[in-house]
Amino acid sequence: MITEQLFTLAWILVKILAILLPLVVVIAYTTFFERKVIGYMQVRIGPNRVGPRGFLQPWADVFKLLLKEIIVPSASNRFLFLLAPILALAPALAAWAVIPFDQQLVLANVNAGLLFLLAMTSLGVYGIVIAGWASNSKYAFLGALRSSAQIISYEIAMGIALIGVLMAAGSLNLTEIVMAQSGNLLSWYWLPLFPLFVVYWIAGVAETNRLPFDLAEGESEIVAGFHVEYAGGAFALFFLAEYANMILISVLTALLFFGGWLSPFQGIPVLEEAFAWVPGIAWLLLKSACFMFMYLWLRATFPRYRYDQVMRLGWKVFIPLTTFWIILVAVAVRLGVGPWF
Amino acid sequence: MINIEIDGKKLSVEPGEMIIEVADKAGIAIPRFCYHKKLSIAANCRMCLVEVENAPKPLPACATPVGEGMKVYTQSEKTIEAQKSVMEFLLINHPLDCPICDQGGECELQDVAMGYGEGVSRFTEGKRTVKDKDIGPLIATELTRCIHCTRCVRFGEEVAGIQELGAVQRGEHMKIATYIEGSVDSELSGNVIDLCPVGALTSKPFRFSARAWEMQQRPTIAPHDGVGSHLYLHVMGNQVKRVVPREAEAINETWIADRDRYSYESLHHADRVTKPLVKQEGVWKETDWSQALEVVAKQLNIIAKNDGADQIGCLASPSATLEEHYLLQKWLRALGCQNIDHRLRKTDFRVKEQAPQSAALPCEFTDVEYYDRFLLIGSYLRKDIPMLNHRVRKAVMLGAEVSVLNPVDYDFNFDVAHALISDVRLLSTQLAGILKALSANAPLFSTLPDYLRQVSPDPAQQAVADSLKAGEKVMLFLGSLALHHPEAGLLKALAEGIAKETSGELAFLHEGANAVGARLAGAMPHVGAAGSALPTPGLDAAAMTHAPRKAYVLHQIEPEWDCAYSAQTLQALEQAEFVVALNTFQSDTMLDYADVILPAAAFTETSGTYVNLAGHWQSFEGAVVPQGEARPAWKILRVLANLHDVEGFDYTASTEVRDELKQQVEESAAQSHEVAGQTDTSSLKSYSASRDNTQQGLVRLTETPLYRTDAFVRRSPALQQTTDNQRTGVRVSRQVAEQYKLDPAHPVTLQQGDYSVSLPWQVDEALPGNHVWTAGVAGLGAPFGAIELTQGKVS
Amino acid sequence: MVLKRLKHFIKSFTLWELLKGLRLTGRVLFDKKSTIQFPDETTPQSARFRGVHALRRYENGEERCIACKLCEAVCPALAITIDSDQREDGSRRTTRYDIDLFKCIYCGMCEESCPVDAIVETGIANYHFEERGENIMTKEKLLAIGDRYEKQIAADRKQDAPYR
Repeated sequence: MITEQLFTLAWILVKILAILLPLVVVIAYTTFFERKVIGYMQVRIGPNRVGPRGFLQPWADVFKLLLKEIIVPSASNRFLFLLAPILALAPALAAWAVIPFDQQLVLANVNAGLLFLLAMTSLGVYGIVIAGWASNSKYAFLGALRSSAQIISYEIAMGIALIGVLMAAGSLNLTEIVMAQSGNLLSWYWLPLFPLFVVYWIAGVAETNRLPFDLAEGESEIVAGFHVEYAGGAFALFFLAEYANMILISVLTALLFFGGWLSPFQGIPVLEEAFAWVPGIAWLLLKSACFMFMYLWLRATFPRYRYDQVMRLGWKVFIPLTTFWIILVAVAVRLGVGPWF
Repeated sequence: MINIEIDGKKLSVEPGEMIIEVADKAGIAIPRFCYHKKLSIAANCRMCLVEVENAPKPLPACATPVGEGMKVYTQSEKTIEAQKSVMEFLLINHPLDCPICDQGGECELQDVAMGYGEGVSRFTEGKRTVKDKDIGPLIATELTRCIHCTRCVRFGEEVAGIQELGAVQRGEHMKIATYIEGSVDSELSGNVIDLCPVGALTSKPFRFSARAWEMQQRPTIAPHDGVGSHLYLHVMGNQVKRVVPREAEAINETWIADRDRYSYESLHHADRVTKPLVKQEGVWKETDWSQALEVVAKQLNIIAKNDGADQIGCLASPSATLEEHYLLQKWLRALGCQNIDHRLRKTDFRVKEQAPQSAALPCEFTDVEYYDRFLLIGSYLRKDIPMLNHRVRKAVMLGAEVSVLNPVDYDFNFDVAHALISDVRLLSTQLAGILKALSANAPLFSTLPDYLRQVSPDPAQQAVADSLKAGEKVMLFLGSLALHHPEAGLLKALAEGIAKETSGELAFLHEGANAVGARLAGAMPHVGAAGSALPTPGLDAAAMTHAPRKAYVLHQIEPEWDCAYSAQTLQALEQAEFVVALNTFQSDTMLDYADVILPAAAFTETSGTYVNLAGHWQSFEGAVVPQGEARPAWKILRVLANLHDVEGFDYTASTEVRDELKQQVEESAAQSHEVAGQTDTSSLKSYSASRDNTQQGLVRLTETPLYRTDAFVRRSPALQQTTDNQRTGVRVSRQVAEQYKLDPAHPVTLQQGDYSVSLPWQVDEALPGNHVWTAGVAGLGAPFGAIELTQGKVS
Repeated sequence: MVLKRLKHFIKSFTLWELLKGLRLTGRVLFDKKSTIQFPDETTPQSARFRGVHALRRYENGEERCIACKLCEAVCPALAITIDSDQREDGSRRTTRYDIDLFKCIYCGMCEESCPVDAIVETGIANYHFEERGENIMTKEKLLAIGDRYEKQIAADRKQDAPYR
């Protein structure tokens, strides 16, 4: 009995590792590709010195960060200071538990998956707030203030956008939400819920504190914001959390609006058969990758918003817009407007 | 007054003036090279050509007298064209070596070339080159650069009085050269550097060491003689790089003596004391100021308490500042010590100086030019006080007659009408002869010793007397030789007598930059500041030597060179329990006798005042920061007095000290401008006791050579290499050399009492018999005393 | 007026400006990159390039500098310090010629003012200091650079000579 339980536990552990290890590798290479892509968009070629074509650059960065000293400011709250990066990273990783990679490929097929996700992504802000406060540094504190205000604002718009999705799908279970989109390219939710998709994506960018919404870091005004006092491994954790969140948002966008692992050729006579051999997870990763690229593209293109602009956008544009569309969707669902509802 | 017009500007001018003088006064610039306001007009450079209305050709402004209604155009096309052409000719042979020329940046030719020169020369032929001459250690030559303005030649003829430089050959081949192969030896020679409009004559010690634009110009006063020439120090960083004259018509016109120009070289001499030094158990240790000053205050206190304050003696340099003299006497007198003197080379103190006088000259320096009879008594004025000599020379040029009474036939740069060359022991007899020739029954004779009363004037003395009598304005100079003479009091009384008979005036040529100031400040044993009376007089410089004290305070002196009794003074110092020296330099002998050496700032580094012979109070500021830990001496003295808890030493600036003394002087009787205080004639008879009537044996004859006057000059390498400085050492007359059968290959031994020195020697034809010339020789006794001469066979 | 506002409204709701920006960066992504991979490649350099300084010599080995101090005077950054004196042979020479490369702004005026072409700015663009004080180029260092790169220096001057 006990051995069986231990076996189950071990199996779960293996599954967690099976998700996290590739995730970490992907994060590492995301940083590399980010630098490359931004470089290319700025007519540069980006890092190309470590390893062939710079492919070992992420590892150099990792080793560098891990080998550097973690400096704890003397006037800081040592416990909270060290706790903060863990608090930032843990929810970002925990959220992956409910992500379905294929119809059967999910660590925890929870019925309230979407709710769990919302909870986890919101929890990440605590890490930032605590980091900013525990550093006992003015810049860090300002960064934390901005971050919490921003995340709370966009949480609302994001939540409302997701309400649209769950209304359309009629479920909180992510697997079911994906399955509800099956049919063809046009039956994915991006089309009927287009405004919600746009708002969700933008809010997602804002949630992860990425450009053009990286006011919490704001290198040019508050140096590095909440993580100004962090160095070495502790800083690496924040880094990891940020990129884990980015990938999570990308995957979620793919799942919620772009049919997850569903083939884009579904319902197209010849092509559907031609691409039947492609596993579903590949489609999911491909779609997520597109959104990851979108992250980088945005960063390379737009300057940072001013703080009041961010707030205005969140409260005065996104929330009314999503609310309005929710009502529309509710009407459409009630009326059963095909082929989606 | 006539009216002329220059560039449309209407001017009212004196007839006879030249256009360039008028233009200079009106501030209108006319370029020039050969014209100099202090020299005669040569009009040979042609740079000052200007257009004059109705004149067919441009006229040289420097040689064209103004005329009524004259209209001059200095900026007209014709003028500019003429000046440009002249410039082109001048530049034909001038080398393009401005980058390596010391004159670069302050060159008149460079400046004018910027205004009138063409960028390109049309002259393609070879340029003229002239071989350089070595004209001594002071002036560097680069004669290829010469533009033949002849200012240096005219300076030699008209100011220095010796024609050393001249223009030889003509036209293209003309060059400036020394007439006789050798150096330029005038004591004013350095002025040709300032005169030279190009870089042909530059300063040798300064050579290549700085650029004109790198240096800052700071004013100061020359510290070596009683004229107090106005100087500019050219300072780069914290270093004095060179010294140039500052124009002061009443003092030094536009000239300065070489001594003032080159003594700056000593400022960075290796002998500079840069930290307070204290001798502890025979070992010198560098220490800090508070410790060194504590030691001095404590030691002086102990001696004053145990042995009485009169066991302290103080010898101060006559070239120290007024403030230093005043503080020195104020401090020591507060301790109860009256033994303070600055008359270090004086040997006869029998006739006391009366209340100090505000000047040593009866008139301004400029007025000297208007006297028509001079009698120089025991003075080589030309080398002692060159700038005053220059005034006398100017008077001679105007027709004055100069008579001299000297033991040596000195080489003056003006015509001497009557030269009385006499045994140094018989100077008083000579003067008495002149007096007798003037008036056989002068009241003075009744007070004189017998041997002077009985003199009868010889023809030479009669001639001098006649010359003086014929004059309208007569001045008698008592030179340093007379002032330091063993019969100085007698000589002074006789000079006064002659002055009285000729309605003349008497001038004292004291040594040092501040001799008058020192007297006013009370740096004398028998009279206090501003002539205030003292209850008990102290010991004078000679007495302090003959009756050794237990403690000595030495201020800016090196006794072996600066004191009359060089050997005795050193001996007294060595025997003393405690010797403190406030000095800019140290020397091996000083390390021997002193116990504490306090580094005093040099004259460029301290503020202060010198009162010159004409009575001008000339204050100056420190131009550079003192080297190392050296401090201005007045500050050192102030702190020493503070340590002794003397009241009234709260000065924060040297000007406060000066103003305090000035007030006292103004309140006292010393403000009278009578130079010669009446000599107390009652003691004159006592001179017969010391009189050596035999005139047998050898007598020592000494003077302070031009470049040995003070510690700064003695440490200036360039001055030490001059021909003038070679007049030091032992010289004897041919008569003596033959009498003693001296071997020129071996040194002679000179002996005065217990003191003897052995030195190489040479024959000097100018010396009278029986005289042994020992200028700049240390380690002997009385300067004009008997001396023995032997030549041991040194193998 | 209304039309204009409507246009503005539509433009902002369709994120038109942002899309234009994305289009630009998207296009640049595929442009040819202008990066010069420094140690392997270098940018082309003019003969007039003003890099680290050097003091030149004449062909007979005599240093050119005559201590005229014009460069010191003209230097707008006061980077040059010269002490001059007479050498044993009587010629005017520097006893000290320091250039503080931290002060120097590489304007080239020293080179322009030099009457004997002694001080020059070479084409050497890449140099570094490892210790405090190395930024002071002494006379020895400057002469050493001059000796080492004389060929290049002379070639550069020759190329530029017609325009001087």
